[in-house]
Amino acid sequence: MRPVRACRGGKRRSAMRRQPREQQQSGRVLPGAVGALCRALPSRARPAPDTLRRARFDRPQASLDFWRLLYALLKQIHGGKWAESDAIGNQIRFVKSTLWYHGYGRPELYRLPSDGSAGSRELLLAFSWLLHRLSLLEQLLARNRVKTGDEASVCTCEDDLPNSQKGPTEIAPEYGPEDRVDVRYLQWLNGRLRFQWRSLHAQHQEQCKLLYKIHLFTSGSHMDKTLGHFSVTETDLIRQPGNYKQLLQLLESETMQLEAFLEWKQREPVYWQWMETVLDNMAEEGNPCESQDAHVERSGLPEVTSCCPWADSLTEHIGRLSRDLMTLRDQLQKLVMHRKAAWCEKVKTRKEELQKEGFPATARKIQESVELKLQDLTCLCAPRKNRAHGSCRLVLRSEHPVSKSGWGRSVSQEPVPAASAAEVIRELQMREASLGRELKQLREECRQRLDQIAEGLDGVICVSP
Amino acid sequence: MSIVTVQLGQCGNQIGQEVFNAVCADVRGTHGLCSKKENESYRDACKERFFREEESEVPVARAVLVDMEPKVISQTLSIAARSGCWKYDDRSHFCQKQGSGNNWANGYSVHGPRHKEAIMNLVQKEAEKCDRLGGFFTIMSMAGGTGSGLGAFVTRCLRDAFPTSFILNHVIWPYGTGEVIVQNYNSVLTLSHLYQSSDALLVHENDVIHKICAQLMNIKQISFRDVNQVIAHQLGSVFQPSYTAEGGSRYSRNPLGDLMETLVPHPEFKMLGLRNIPQMPENSLAYSTFSWPGLLKHLRQMLIANAQMEEGIDWQVRPPRPGFSIPSSHPTNKPLHFNTSIANLVILRGKDTHSVDLGKKEKHTYIHQYTKFGIEEEDFLDSFTALEQVISSYTLL
Repeated sequence: MRPVRACRGGKRRSAMRRQPREQQQSGRVLPGAVGALCRALPSRARPAPDTLRRARFDRPQASLDFWRLLYALLKQIHGGKWAESDAIGNQIRFVKSTLWYHGYGRPELYRLPSDGSAGSRELLLAFSWLLHRLSLLEQLLARNRVKTGDEASVCTCEDDLPNSQKGPTEIAPEYGPEDRVDVRYLQWLNGRLRFQWRSLHAQHQEQCKLLYKIHLFTSGSHMDKTLGHFSVTETDLIRQPGNYKQLLQLLESETMQLEAFLEWKQREPVYWQWMETVLDNMAEEGNPCESQDAHVERSGLPEVTSCCPWADSLTEHIGRLSRDLMTLRDQLQKLVMHRKAAWCEKVKTRKEELQKEGFPATARKIQESVELKLQDLTCLCAPRKNRAHGSCRLVLRSEHPVSKSGWGRSVSQEPVPAASAAEVIRELQMREASLGRELKQLREECRQRLDQIAEGLDGVICVSP
Repeated sequence: MSIVTVQLGQCGNQIGQEVFNAVCADVRGTHGLCSKKENESYRDACKERFFREEESEVPVARAVLVDMEPKVISQTLSIAARSGCWKYDDRSHFCQKQGSGNNWANGYSVHGPRHKEAIMNLVQKEAEKCDRLGGFFTIMSMAGGTGSGLGAFVTRCLRDAFPTSFILNHVIWPYGTGEVIVQNYNSVLTLSHLYQSSDALLVHENDVIHKICAQLMNIKQISFRDVNQVIAHQLGSVFQPSYTAEGGSRYSRNPLGDLMETLVPHPEFKMLGLRNIPQMPENSLAYSTFSWPGLLKHLRQMLIANAQMEEGIDWQVRPPRPGFSIPSSHPTNKPLHFNTSIANLVILRGKDTHSVDLGKKEKHTYIHQYTKFGIEEEDFLDSFTALEQVISSYTLL
């Protein structure tokens, strides 16, 4: 698949050379490809093939439709609910900020007017970029599958973006002394959160129990022998057979989408060739304007980032992280040298001591503590093996308690191999243990800091919990 | 959505039995106010909450009975079985031969650790039989030895074993002129320990219930059974299924969670009080009519005047004092006369609750909540911090 190049000072290609070939091939095959593409999109965000054709010629009537299409698609990707009645201004703002978040760097799109009156060709380009860059179709197909009800989500990833390293300036409260929030109110809210979490936990446990019951009671009844038992949806269908029509409809539309997707995959190259012509046309037309708009571009972009707060903080984080990384590396090098020297001294003295005392007991203790420390380190530094992430289907097997066969949300050609629940549980327990140790350490640090502060105050005795 | 009840000591076991009685009677009662479907779903929800179906014909209460003397437990079991509508599980009880002699330390430090495993085994079995464990409800008195000392220990074990469950402790406040001499010590020790492990403490005062019996229910010779029945009635009104605040077509699947979330999220303020109207003997129900505005007006008056009954409200309404006084060692001293509760939760039952206007906020729902941040809450917490040092020396018994 040929990637779509961002057009910043792109090479000029003579479009003349391409046209005869294009006219021969795409006359027949292109409408088919575009049609398949449109059919493969989910029903609520399905454009007419005509819209794409009109956009290619930059017809203004197609702009509004295209904005709405992008809005619907991106909202689905980001898991949000949308109302078609959202004002077009809001929709456009959302699309621009999401594109920015995903790294779309073509300034012409961000300069398009917010009433949706022009720019359909730019939008076509953005759409194709999303298709390729985000694997839009695959994501949407995965998201809109008919649910079996047996899904469980698995995430053994490390936490990203630790925000514990905020500088002191950021903690400075924005409230003045009048607006200070009562700490009791915060405790109240925290307590509510805790209780709600507990209720959620109880609900999860109940769901697990009931799912287990369903699987157990229907085992041996399924036609597919590898599964062996019914899923929740199938069981529900047995209890309420009147719903079969709805289920059938859903399955049929999903099948149709999948077939369209397969067709699209075969005809894709034609589409990308077509997009190249679009790009070439824009390169020819667009170059004169680029130089004078260079400074406008810088002023235009902040307006976009203001409505995309998470992208803003991301870039900040990245800058800060890279600076921290450099300083940390230097510090580490110095530390390592110091530590090595000190350690050699220690080892020498300890060796002499040990030769006098009994060896085995102390050796065992040392070994245990070292293992503990190493465990944490190895977990942190271990190369990222395949972290299970995404949703899986739970399948009850008789030999092992529960195993899973999964196909994750990430785009991979083959399904994620089956993992047994026991393994995942073990991994999660290790992670829990290491987090527990980290928590203990942080608590110790807090306690020491509190003690230090309390020493400074007169007449205050700090009783720690 | 099930609640496991742990009945501790003589008081706890007797009250627990009355509670199940009241719940069972409510389930079987027919008053024809709601549609049949609603009745059925109410009954199902109620049954799932407190009972479980076994091979026997009658539902079995989800309860664990604990006492140091065998007498009360065997009485409780037999009364329940005789009722014919429900019974206890024959194996879900634990008792010993000797009592605790009203000694808190005996219950907490001696009996507790010794029998911890047996008791927790019973609780665990009961909990596993629930499809969804809604939480634990423990009933105990604060004056005696078993209920208070062992109860505090059991609560702590429950918290250790089920860190993510809700635990509601129901404690009976002893009479002011109590029958046990060391009841003040027992009470304070119990409360301070319960405060750490439990999520909420619901307090019923013997004095108040006694007054209710005397004045409202017109009972001449008040026996413990009458007192327990009033308490059971009040508890029933709280724990019976009701709709959630999000409005109502289903009974709440998380009663303890909802209760706690609205009332006691703050870790320091865990005490709950209960006000119930109307309270009257069964026979006069037929002769009285109620209207929602009248009932609510009474309820509000009771809240404001901090009274426990509709009658005899002390109308000297004073705002709370800005400072707090260190009370005497008698902990039942509560000189507050204003509604200084942190949060209020109103549960309404009956016909036409949709049109009830609760005044401050108009919501046509079954459960309505409005939260005020009181300047002070019960004097009690302050007595804790003052007496903690005293307490620590007793625990070394």
